Amino acid sequence: MERADDTLSRAKDGDQTAFADLVREHQAMVFSLAHYFSRDRATAEDLAQEVFIHLYQNLGSIESPAHLKFWLRRVTSHRCIDHARKQRMKTVSVDDAPEPVAPSDFRDSLMTEALRRIVATLPEKPRLVVTLRYQEDLDPTEIAELLDMPLNTVKSHLRRSLVILREKVTRSLGEIRV
Amino acid sequence: MNRFDEELKLALRREEPSPDFTDRVMARVAESQKREKPGEEAVWLRRLAEFFQPPQMKWAMAGAMAILMVIAGFGVHHRRESERKRLAEIAEGERAKEQVMLAMRIVSAKLKVAQKKVNEAAGHEDRGSKIEDRR
Repeated sequence: MERADDTLSRAKDGDQTAFADLVREHQAMVFSLAHYFSRDRATAEDLAQEVFIHLYQNLGSIESPAHLKFWLRRVTSHRCIDHARKQRMKTVSVDDAPEPVAPSDFRDSLMTEALRRIVATLPEKPRLVVTLRYQEDLDPTEIAELLDMPLNTVKSHLRRSLVILREKVTRSLGEIRV
Repeated sequence: MNRFDEELKLALRREEPSPDFTDRVMARVAESQKREKPGEEAVWLRRLAEFFQPPQMKWAMAGAMAILMVIAGFGVHHRRESERKRLAEIAEGERAKEQVMLAMRIVSAKLKVAQKKVNEAAGHEDRGSKIEDRR
């Protein structure tokens, strides 16, 4: 924690190496949020880059490593939603996706892939809520704060998304282990 | 957490971007810095432009409003004070006028009394000389 504090304060003082360390430390979080939201690596990398450039320009307002994490999640989430609005992103319907043939030894990777595809078919805000809940392990209160959303809306997005995900996974992979 | 939650967590675990991601971010940072390294004039212009943008603009407006309110306050106070002085002067004039009038009335009364006494004295003198003439 002390090291993170030190890296942050050095970056704030204009130390580029320290800023690069901050990028390395948080790039997986920022990139993955954007990736699970956009389902496109190139788009996710562009979004993640923009988030870090924006961070560089606003380093002065970051108060602590915890605030930095909160700030990055928040800015990434909002950038993703803005990007989706601009692009009118095409979502892949799970019904259009080829039915996976599931030999038992590939079941785990198939399940993972199926879940990722199905998450990508959720509407924007529920998709972001599910990603923040399961990728970042945030509780609904933290998600509500991050997205400026009422707590009950977050809970209802989660509840409904889980029902949809279960249904679609069951349809996609059969009743196995779901 | 149930099995499905675990599956979701596994499916949505963090992933690393391309290996050169950090380098690309730093290259863009350097590029943006180069773009933002203008001459003194541009820095001055940027600061001026920043000043007129929120939240600086908000503070500038608040300052200007405060100054205007202070000036307006002084104006109102000054005007009231002048009005008060003018009314006091008028009242003072009225008082002086009344005092002069009173003095005039007193003088006039005194003059009347004096004239009456003179007339009476003259009457006595006339009567005395007539008596002496008859004798």
